Amino acid sequence: MRWTVAVVVALLLGSLTAAGGAQQRKLKAGFIYVGPIGDYGWTHAHDVGRRKAEQQLPWLETVFIESVKEGQETLFIDKLIQQGARVIFTTSFGFMDGTLAAARRYPNHIFAHASGFKRAPNMATYMADFYQVYYLNGLMAGAVTRSGKIAYVGAHPISEVKRHIDAFALGVRAVNPRATVHVRWINDWFNPAAAKEAAEALIAEGADVFAFTEDSPTVVQVAARRNLPSFGHYSPMKRFAPQHCLSGQLVHWDKIYVDFLRKVYQGTYTTENLEKVDYWWLLAQGAVELGCEMGEPINPQWVGRLKAVTVQTPDLGRLSVYDLVMRRHAQMAKNPPAFDPFTGPIRDRKGVVRVPTGKRMTVAELTSMEWAAPGVVGPWPKEP
Amino acid sequence: MIDYVLTTVVRALAVGTPLLWASLGEIYAERSGVVNLGVEGMMILGAFFAFAVAHTTGHPVLGLLAAAAAGGAAAFLHAVVAITLRGNQYVSGLALAMFGLGAAGVLGRGWEGIPLLTTLPEVSALTYLGLGLAVVLWGALYHTRLGLVLRSVGEAPAAAAAAGVNVILVRYAAVVFGGVLAGVAGGFLSVAYRPSWTEGMTAGLGWIAIALAIFAGWDPLRAVAGTFLYGALFFLSFRLQAQIPPEFLRMLPFAFTIAALAVMARRQRGQGAPEALGVPWAPGER
Repeated sequence: MRWTVAVVVALLLGSLTAAGGAQQRKLKAGFIYVGPIGDYGWTHAHDVGRRKAEQQLPWLETVFIESVKEGQETLFIDKLIQQGARVIFTTSFGFMDGTLAAARRYPNHIFAHASGFKRAPNMATYMADFYQVYYLNGLMAGAVTRSGKIAYVGAHPISEVKRHIDAFALGVRAVNPRATVHVRWINDWFNPAAAKEAAEALIAEGADVFAFTEDSPTVVQVAARRNLPSFGHYSPMKRFAPQHCLSGQLVHWDKIYVDFLRKVYQGTYTTENLEKVDYWWLLAQGAVELGCEMGEPINPQWVGRLKAVTVQTPDLGRLSVYDLVMRRHAQMAKNPPAFDPFTGPIRDRKGVVRVPTGKRMTVAELTSMEWAAPGVVGPWPKEP
Repeated sequence: MIDYVLTTVVRALAVGTPLLWASLGEIYAERSGVVNLGVEGMMILGAFFAFAVAHTTGHPVLGLLAAAAAGGAAAFLHAVVAITLRGNQYVSGLALAMFGLGAAGVLGRGWEGIPLLTTLPEVSALTYLGLGLAVVLWGALYHTRLGLVLRSVGEAPAAAAAAGVNVILVRYAAVVFGGVLAGVAGGFLSVAYRPSWTEGMTAGLGWIAIALAIFAGWDPLRAVAGTFLYGALFFLSFRLQAQIPPEFLRMLPFAFTIAALAVMARRQRGQGAPEALGVPWAPGER
């Protein structure tokens, strides 16, 4: 009798652990980062997303490699796959071709590349894009500039950054048709000294509002030191300029990572059906947020200034810039969006029609954009 | 126009300050015959410790002292490998650069995204101190017995040893001194130039400091000219971006370096690089 009980208990326990084991089937995902996770910008934001995904998905294990130079990604992809990663995320535009090559070499693994446009049966693309948010930032920049010169410190002159500057400039011009956006390139994703001196150069030229693409809070700090407003980028940067960081762009990569990994885990995404999977997540999907601090779209210090400036719009009539920002934000947060900054008629700064009247740019057009919007001043490599 | 010149001078001073400190340190280390390619690593360690200490204590100057200590300690590691163990100085220096970047990155986890409340001004005492230090180091190098000893150790260690100089001690002192200055250079970055901590925030400045030591012909006064020329051109590469390709302006200091090396190579012994630079030495060797 005792033996029977013991055997039954043992069998029960065994089946329980077996069931537990099945539930604990793990999925390992590897991340290739272009910068250090402590950059407090792009890579930092991806890493926050990775950690949040790991917290939310009990079956998820992650590994990452940081500060990978563009062009060296395939070596590190090999390494992550040797470590057992089944899903590989590569998070820089320059990793695109290397990721595609790796996807062909490892047909049984799943790849996802951020910010690019090349896909394969086992390789998807994803992007939490800021162009809507940049447009909203532009509206505010146009309202608060006194000199009419707005500064933009740009990283690499690629489509993604150009799209953001153009959206920003369109917003500026919607409020302040005579204002100009002065662009300086640092040709680097992360280079605090270059970002700093580029901002100083723009201050010397009379610019008095700052937006940027560089993976550190440098520009926000430089502007604050001169008592000038700025827009934060990627991470909450208000703490570096509590009075002066007006608003900015914030990201929630975890929304995409959790959704994607869950679908891989459930078997919705396989190594054969990713050719058409392109996450192009914006305000509507909650992948991006307006603000310099989470949950605060506009720094309260600046609300008064924005309410004091009024502007005439074709569709909403006359209203304050503050209300305009809020209305446009609400329109763009709808799915599908009720408003898009890149709606025709839009001419580029040379006068060439880029978006015909009534047309909206497609995602493919947005991701390959090279032209400069009216009001953009400064060098613009590969300008058509 | 005056405004133009003035802003350029101010920016040159701000960008040049960390480069000056680091390259003065490298000049002294190399004058003793030891190459230290670990400047980037010593700088970033200095930047991290300066930030952490300044943030914890509220005193940026204490931060700078911590940076000096961190830079000196890192340089000591290099000295042990390069001088005592007579390892390959280039390999050891590169390892130090990578070690410093990695160690500062690991230690700095959790320190990013924090602002520093009390900071030093950009063009600050450190700028003037750096300028004064350059004059003092120049005077010491060429017009004191100590400078003669240092140079002789870098040029002909065997002869110096025969004359009763403790070559090992001099080299240790020079390398650690170089590390202290590199640490302060990094500290300047995180408590004055850009008061915050982000991983990899030196972003190549350490390498430029090494190049500037060569550009300066291992002469502290010429290092002043080199660093501020570099600072001015770096700033102007953004100021004039619409008119002149920035790559061209940023290339200029290095073009000057190559030209300077070419000129120096034709000069007399003792004018160019120290003869024994990069060559390990053991007591009793000739």
